Amino acid sequence: MKSSTPIYFEDLDKFATFKSDETTITAQEIRKYATQFDPQPYHTDRSAAEGSIFGGLCASGWHVCAIMMKLLSDVMAKEKIMLIGSDEVPSLKWKKPAFEGSKLHAELEFKGAKIEEADPDFGIIKCDVKILNQNQQLIMDVKTTLMIENRGSDSE
Amino acid sequence: MSKASFLRSRWFEDIPVGEFHVFGSYTLSEQEMVDFGTSYAPQIYHTDPDAAMNTRYKGLIASNWHLCSIWMRLMVDYMEGYSLGVVDGRRNGAGLGFQDLKILKPVRPGHTLTFSHEIIDKAERILKNKWGVIKSRNEAFNHKGELVMTFTVDILAERNPDNLTK
Repeated sequence: MKSSTPIYFEDLDKFATFKSDETTITAQEIRKYATQFDPQPYHTDRSAAEGSIFGGLCASGWHVCAIMMKLLSDVMAKEKIMLIGSDEVPSLKWKKPAFEGSKLHAELEFKGAKIEEADPDFGIIKCDVKILNQNQQLIMDVKTTLMIENRGSDSE
Repeated sequence: MSKASFLRSRWFEDIPVGEFHVFGSYTLSEQEMVDFGTSYAPQIYHTDPDAAMNTRYKGLIASNWHLCSIWMRLMVDYMEGYSLGVVDGRRNGAGLGFQDLKILKPVRPGHTLTFSHEIIDKAERILKNKWGVIKSRNEAFNHKGELVMTFTVDILAERNPDNLTK
């Protein structure tokens, strides 16, 4: 449902599905995020990571969350869906490590409106997000909510 | 033994429900918020202080995932390298997931957040004949004492091998 005009909450197909582009997660990017936010050896040091619970250098789970946000944001921008935030993530599971070199993409599935009139300016939609690697292995399984702007809101 | 090495050295069985920790405080700068937003959350209210004035947030706010990332950093610092345990035989493991992440107030440049962590449950299940699961409630308060973020997270902790099937 690619569109050239903005899609507001009222116009949204509330059971739409989307697939993001793929992004490759490099060792450099894993170390950069981890050095700043999650400096544990299996995210910063390849040889230490090989002896760890994970068995190799892998991204922090929170780094995968950040990557999910980028993939999701890019889908919303491409589709011109008027995303204006999210204030609740009911569930998130880290299923498998995202190792260096992984090619990750997001599969999004809208699950209907959570609240039609959450606010004069927006509605809230439920959205399942799966982050998968190049082998279609499930890396992260998420149930989130997205605030989508109402038509005629003055929030912009 | 330092407090951090004590915390890291315990088996699952030694960690009491109800234990409460304050990881510390952190002040967010405008630049780091913009940097995070530019990399991961490219909405203008995370990336452009001027354009953000014209959004419903009336200014720059931190990405939810930036707040979670800062929580992780403060936990690692508090534990002085937290899951080093998995590499060198000590006893803290990876996260399995979280529930009920809620963002209750916008966080703006210059705000100072204080992060707390309370053990609220220990699961009966044993994973790979090695790991137990510790559930904690995590909260962040701003400089006015307002709750801005809350979630519960499940983290592995190693079971005492004496209690496991040999």
